[in-house]
Amino acid sequence: MTKKPRLVASIASAALALAALGTTVAIAPAYAASCSGAISVMAPITGPVAFIGTEQLNFAQLAVADYNAKTGATYTIHQDDTQLDASQASTVAPSIVANKSIIGVVGPAGSQEVLAIGGLFSANSLALVSPSATRTSLTAGTYTSFFRPIPNDGLQGPGDATYMAKTLKAKEVFIIEEKTAYGSGLSKEVAATLKKLKVKVTKIPVNEKNADYASVVARVSKSTNFVFVTFQDAAKSEQVAQELKKERKKAVVFGSDGSDQPTFKTAGSYISAFAPDVTSLSVAASVIAAYKAKYGKYTTFGPPSYVAAQVILEAAGRACAAGKGTDRTAVLDEIRKTDIAKTILGSRLKFTANGDVLGGRFYIFRIAADGSHQLVG
Amino acid sequence: MDNGVQSVDYFGQQMVNGITLGGVYALIALGYTLVYGVLQILNFAHGDVYMIGAFIGFFVMVGLGGPSHAVVPVAVMIFIMFAVSMLGSGLLGIVIEKFAYRPLRNSPRIAPLISALGVSLLLQNGALLLFSGSIRSYDTSSFVPITAGIHLGGVTIDGMRILVLVLALILMFGLSRWVNGTQVGRAMRAIAFDRDAAIMMGINVDRVIMWTFFVGSALAGAAGVMVGLVFLRVYSYMGFLAGLKGFTAAVVGGIGSIPGAMLGGVLLGIAESMTSAYLSPNFSDAITFLLLIAVMLIKPRGLLGRRAIVKV
Amino acid sequence: MDTPQTSAEDSAGRAEVVLGIGTDEWVARHNERLIVDSGPLARLKDTASKIPNLVRWLLVLLIAVAVPLGTSNPYIMRVGVNLGLFILLSYGLNIVVGYAGLLDLGYAAFYGFGAYAYALVSSDQLGHHWKTYISVPIIVVATALLGFLVSLPSRRLMGDYLAIVTLFFGQVFVQVVLSSDSITFPWATDSIDITGGSNGIPALDPFVLFGHKFLNAKDYYWLLLAIIVILTLTITRINRTRIGRAWRTIREDSLAAQAMGISINRLKFMAFIVGAALAGLAGTILSAVQGAVFVNGFDLPLLTLVYAAIILGGSGSLPGAVMGAIVMSLLPEFLRVPSYSEILFFVVLILVIGAMRRSIKSFAITLLGIFVTGIIVRGIFLSLSVKSLPRDEWATGVIGRFLSHWLFVPNNRLLWGNASFVLLIALIAYLTQASPTIKRILLPVAAFLGIFLWEVRLIQQPSTTRQLIIGTMLIVLMVTKPQGFLGKARVEVL
Repeated sequence: MTKKPRLVASIASAALALAALGTTVAIAPAYAASCSGAISVMAPITGPVAFIGTEQLNFAQLAVADYNAKTGATYTIHQDDTQLDASQASTVAPSIVANKSIIGVVGPAGSQEVLAIGGLFSANSLALVSPSATRTSLTAGTYTSFFRPIPNDGLQGPGDATYMAKTLKAKEVFIIEEKTAYGSGLSKEVAATLKKLKVKVTKIPVNEKNADYASVVARVSKSTNFVFVTFQDAAKSEQVAQELKKERKKAVVFGSDGSDQPTFKTAGSYISAFAPDVTSLSVAASVIAAYKAKYGKYTTFGPPSYVAAQVILEAAGRACAAGKGTDRTAVLDEIRKTDIAKTILGSRLKFTANGDVLGGRFYIFRIAADGSHQLVG
Repeated sequence: MDNGVQSVDYFGQQMVNGITLGGVYALIALGYTLVYGVLQILNFAHGDVYMIGAFIGFFVMVGLGGPSHAVVPVAVMIFIMFAVSMLGSGLLGIVIEKFAYRPLRNSPRIAPLISALGVSLLLQNGALLLFSGSIRSYDTSSFVPITAGIHLGGVTIDGMRILVLVLALILMFGLSRWVNGTQVGRAMRAIAFDRDAAIMMGINVDRVIMWTFFVGSALAGAAGVMVGLVFLRVYSYMGFLAGLKGFTAAVVGGIGSIPGAMLGGVLLGIAESMTSAYLSPNFSDAITFLLLIAVMLIKPRGLLGRRAIVKV
Repeated sequence: MDTPQTSAEDSAGRAEVVLGIGTDEWVARHNERLIVDSGPLARLKDTASKIPNLVRWLLVLLIAVAVPLGTSNPYIMRVGVNLGLFILLSYGLNIVVGYAGLLDLGYAAFYGFGAYAYALVSSDQLGHHWKTYISVPIIVVATALLGFLVSLPSRRLMGDYLAIVTLFFGQVFVQVVLSSDSITFPWATDSIDITGGSNGIPALDPFVLFGHKFLNAKDYYWLLLAIIVILTLTITRINRTRIGRAWRTIREDSLAAQAMGISINRLKFMAFIVGAALAGLAGTILSAVQGAVFVNGFDLPLLTLVYAAIILGGSGSLPGAVMGAIVMSLLPEFLRVPSYSEILFFVVLILVIGAMRRSIKSFAITLLGIFVTGIIVRGIFLSLSVKSLPRDEWATGVIGRFLSHWLFVPNNRLLWGNASFVLLIALIAYLTQASPTIKRILLPVAAFLGIFLWEVRLIQQPSTTRQLIIGTMLIVLMVTKPQGFLGKARVEVL
């Protein structure tokens, strides 16, 4: 703790005390109204994977609007487009750090971006709460201001692999590794666990821009039980599932959380997800309804972004209430103490010392004939 | 490899996959070739017209009740999708020509390249603004049953791919009839041969070029709908790589040559399918491009390209 | 001023044209015909064009030196470094394309090669930590060598075909880097990770030169500035030597050049090699300043931006390359801030109307027309009882607040915004065909639609809007000035 924040904090608390003297009755939580700031959203808002970023942006905007409406605060969103490109992230990062109104960042979306800028943000005590960077190594302790409200690949990969091998008794698994930071990391974890469990593994790397999966599916052998896919777009998983049917292969698609979207609906397929089905949760109902009314369809990348923004907003609110203002260090400290009883993802949210979800787990679903998701593990 | 990678069936299956993919590339390549043949400009915005075509097809489908609750028979619906998409893309092509290329007809060769880049950015981000970033899916499984198709031994050709291939062949045949048989087609070839002479012969160059863009873009629109039908996914950035592939196909076949574009498209499709079948799907683009460099070095004008006459 | 080309570079030359031997009068008097404008703007342009080139260079240099002395804002310095890298790339590409006239679409790969080479010898990736003064020269030479290899096909290929082969080369580079994170060699059992694939290579060593460790972007900024100054002097000199003249001769007419006894192959190789070396150098600096390297930055989008820079500036012109680089690398950063892009939008709108309605009277009438259209639209919305959006929710910028008393912003911004977008495009397409009377009537409507679209939809989507503006700007600049800012219309031979 440096001296300066403490000075700022004491001035702020003095100001707050004066304000408290001035007001006779506190109707709403008045502390929040006196606090303001901007939350930066670092996401691929344009470019090839804009579908991820626009949704993360929209959900974050919704979270800010909800919080402002509830408390009367005036937080705003600052859009920082990175196109999921770490080079662009590292160009825009200094501008975010230099912008004193920014109290926290929802993002960056990609693990490779965290690698590029995590050090800078940690050195400046500016919180990064990423809704989608799931690489295991990010929470090894290097980045002291990095948090994520979703469980990491180290939980999903081995979890999915164990489920396939033990519960579903898979003998042979075909992994389609999409060459993205997400796909490569996850398929590595899955392959390692499967090999340990004596399952025969074939791993085929595929370019992200690939459009036709027929020639990849043709490589799947007749005896394969599962095709594990690491796409970020569920329509690709659906394509693979349909292609398998056309070629009369018995293999079933097992999708990672990237496939947890309505476009993937071939009956009998499996998906793993970091949350119980958001659509069926009562905590999430109002948020989802508001989202659908305002922005339309959503997939799996959005809801964690709402939680990420919520984490920052509530931390800022607490820092404010404690008289520390929305100073970055104070907000960061409060984020560490986050304890949300039930997020819209349906579980309690507390962070571990390194910024992972405490007790985070993955849920495995089977897709039924009517397209609904049945929780199986 | 015990999964029959060495079997004849596997080879046949990959061949079929390659030819379908090639059909789509060929349709995109035709647009490039037409425009290049007439104007000698590389229309890099072509891939984005294809993207808009795919979106038009998608929204027509949704407008007619979507694949599962269609208000018209499936065959009619597919016909309307193609018709509207081709018309819309064709008109878009005319507008692009008018704004971005016509004023540059006598500028340095590289200027249209940059304005094409601008058009490409506009179309991509315009689509992002209008349709949002989310990926749309054509959802054809409730359209034509997945299992419908031909099974020859171990080779499966599904119904949708057959449909697309037949349509691609019809369009290509129609195009070559149009270029060789109609007055506009002849005028087009005259302009390609010598623009100044064509003007002196009383050919309305502006009108013919407009037609060229209309037809080329309409073909791209058709390719967009086809890609939606077979590969399902439609999104604002899809035109970039597809445009690059179509362009590649046009070049390999010999840019400016219509049969060349078809040949190039099919060859490219097969090359891609085969590299991802026997080598690595990940390297398939890299290997395909290396093969193409080799082709270019052996036959610098492409497989069916004419020998260039250098005018001094 | 020994050749027409150099005189074309200092855009003065309105003075008396003295015809030298072998100079065509039509060509020599070309500059006079270029000036068609009159009025205060043209006079200003005219005065500006009389400033000698040297003074302009010094002025730019002065600003470049003043900025880092005045600020330590890391973002500004980082943008400055990006600008410097952009200028380096533009210089390199300008030699290949602008001087030698070779259309190289694989140029970004040289940049990437330099960056990755530096990353591999300055990180734990392969466990090498070379000294900067050893690694950088070796990498520059290696990139030059790569440039030579790629230029080998250019002996046989011309124009667009060279472009296509180099385009493929660039794509192969990206694919290979992306896939080289799990290469299994025949003699090894485990696969090894060379490039990190889509994860890139993090934690690179910074430059250490003359015992000084480069700690922040400002250090790299000074280095780049020094390099650019040296290069500017060198390239200007080379351009006036036999090699420079020979390059331009190839560009203008390679057949004639050959007939004149110029060894065109050797010169093509040289252009490629110099261009590649500059890109390689830029790559090493990018790697070092970024502290990490990722493949996304070396694909076609970057290439197109560099091309746009040299063409906007005027292909073949060194000041043009600097100017183009400034526009293409600073504008996207400028547009990141929504309130700036809002101001830019309205300034451009006023300028466009001003350009189309020259007289003060018709200009005022058009503005009035926009105002009336707004009132009418407001009335229509109210009579249809469309729900409006509270003023505080949309009027965020200065201009927005000013307009909020007049403009009706409906509650459903998505629907009405998209509708106005489509309508605006259709209207503009129609206006180009329409007769002057209809144009006069519909111009205010189009302008109103633009304002409406901006406040209803675009202001909410600054990132997409930014891309839309860049796209529009490229088209408009190309259509109005296909030769670039500082280029001159040239008679095309082929």
